[in-house]
Amino acid sequence: MELFTPDFGLVFWMFIAFLLLFLVLAKWGWPVIIKMMDKRAATIDRGVEEARQAHEQLENARAEAEKYVQEARSRQAEMLRETARMKSEIIEQARAEAQEAAKKEMDAAKIAIEQARKEAELQFRTEVGRFSIDIAEKMVRSRMQDDKAQTELVNKLLDEIEKN
Amino acid sequence: MILKRISFFAFLLAFLFCFPFRVLGAENHEEAEKGLDVKEIIFEHLGDGYGWEVPFNHNARFPLPVILRAKDHKWFCFSSSELTELEEHTGADGKVERHLVPVVKTIKRDGKEYNFVIAKISSHKDKIVEIFPLSAEQQAYLDKKLADARSASDADGFPVIDGYVCVAGKYYSEYRPLDISITKNVAALFIVVLLVIWMVLGLANYYKKRDLRAPRKGMGFFELLVSFIYYDNIKPTLGDKAAKFAPYLLTCFFFILTMNLVGLIVIFPGGANLTGNIAITLVLALCTFIVTNVLGTKHYWKEIFWPDVPIWLKCPLPIMQLIEVFGIFTKPAALCVRLFANMMGGHMIVITLTLLIFILAAFGPAVMGGATVVSVLFSIFMLLLDVLVSFIQAYVFTLLSTLFIASAQESHDEHEAHVHADGESHAEAESELNKEKVLLSKEAAAVDFK
Repeated sequence: MELFTPDFGLVFWMFIAFLLLFLVLAKWGWPVIIKMMDKRAATIDRGVEEARQAHEQLENARAEAEKYVQEARSRQAEMLRETARMKSEIIEQARAEAQEAAKKEMDAAKIAIEQARKEAELQFRTEVGRFSIDIAEKMVRSRMQDDKAQTELVNKLLDEIEKN
Repeated sequence: MILKRISFFAFLLAFLFCFPFRVLGAENHEEAEKGLDVKEIIFEHLGDGYGWEVPFNHNARFPLPVILRAKDHKWFCFSSSELTELEEHTGADGKVERHLVPVVKTIKRDGKEYNFVIAKISSHKDKIVEIFPLSAEQQAYLDKKLADARSASDADGFPVIDGYVCVAGKYYSEYRPLDISITKNVAALFIVVLLVIWMVLGLANYYKKRDLRAPRKGMGFFELLVSFIYYDNIKPTLGDKAAKFAPYLLTCFFFILTMNLVGLIVIFPGGANLTGNIAITLVLALCTFIVTNVLGTKHYWKEIFWPDVPIWLKCPLPIMQLIEVFGIFTKPAALCVRLFANMMGGHMIVITLTLLIFILAAFGPAVMGGATVVSVLFSIFMLLLDVLVSFIQAYVFTLLSTLFIASAQESHDEHEAHVHADGESHAEAESELNKEKVLLSKEAAAVDFK
């Protein structure tokens, strides 16, 4: 029967057709397809891996940023505290300095006043001396008009000196 | 939606029931009375031919080139349409019937006459033979033979006698020329080859153009199959050598798959029963045989001629060697027969189911109506099953080829390392084989059922 006994013509053409098909596909077909499928699989794998890494990096970056923000915040607080402290310190210092300056000023004024007072005293004393001498001279002049009064006074003064 | 479908099927069934009554009402029972030569019809459908049937027309053929080498080594090439003729004759009831009948093609060359005819009553049935008039000696021999044959069967017919062909009631001596005609099967083969090249190069070009972008739709499905065969079958079995053998195995798979599926289409470009023809599967199996053995490693040959078995199994009497060498040939033979038998079986079942209608027509219209419904439903089911079988057989052929090639590619140290790990893959292959066996037995049961 024909189906069970291979016919030469069909075997011949089948061999040629199959060989031709194989050569064409082995040269231009399968290697391209397999290479591309491998390449695409590799690319997808790499893509997945890269995405994972990127995600990880993003997570890391986010944590890092968070850390920095936290740090900056704490530093800001620190700085604010520092500034406040410095402010009060400066104010304190300024106040002390002002007090000191005022004191100095006052001291200088006191000295000047003292000096002026002393000068005034001195001047006053000489004035008073001069006045008293003038008065005394006048008194003496008036009293010296009679001789008795003059002698009496001289005696009295002499007594006084003797007593002393 | 479902209701719509059900009503559609009901309508279809009703239509199928009506149809035979109408036909039988119009025609007489001549066809049924004559009796059908079931075997003849089946093999005409499954076999090769010099022309290709024009769809829905039994008496027209697409002509194909005939290429022959005559007895005196001269080559001839002519159209197959010159070998047949449309014969008309009027029946008893005035109906004109047309049949395609073979005619003798006579070619004159160098003063010599060459006669070719498609043999009908001959040992080379349906093949082109060169015919020669009988010499007196041959005539005497033939007469004796004919008398013997006719007395044995008590009939006046024209029996088949080896070496002779009967054309139009006259016997000639015959010679079967070397025949490399482009027959229906060869033409279908070329169509399939072009189809596969178109598919594969299409995908390759797509990749060249679109680089790494995945193809969609049909091409995506094609790529799915490629990656299924390559990554799930070839790569795990062959490992590093996958790239070397993948072109052959993939070509095998897609060639067989396309041939199987094209064979299921009833009309032109399909209709040629390729993988159900042993010549085709023989060449495929032969290729696997060549690839396996020509590229086999030293270790593979050592395993055949000096396997790792107790010495008494191989030394004085080469028992193991005999088995192994026998195995080299039985493996591809099994490949060849498995594919052939599965595909031919499938086709045969569908044709037989269809013929059932005409066989049962003899029992009256009611039986024929019932038979029609049953046959059509079964045919559709079998065709769907055949689509599955087409894929499975192409896959099994590729899978087993891969295993055979892989077994011939093992080097010594690999073998040592694989001894334990192999258990699993063997079990896998075995389960695959078992599946195959179950399928075969099912199909065999289906054949028996007829």
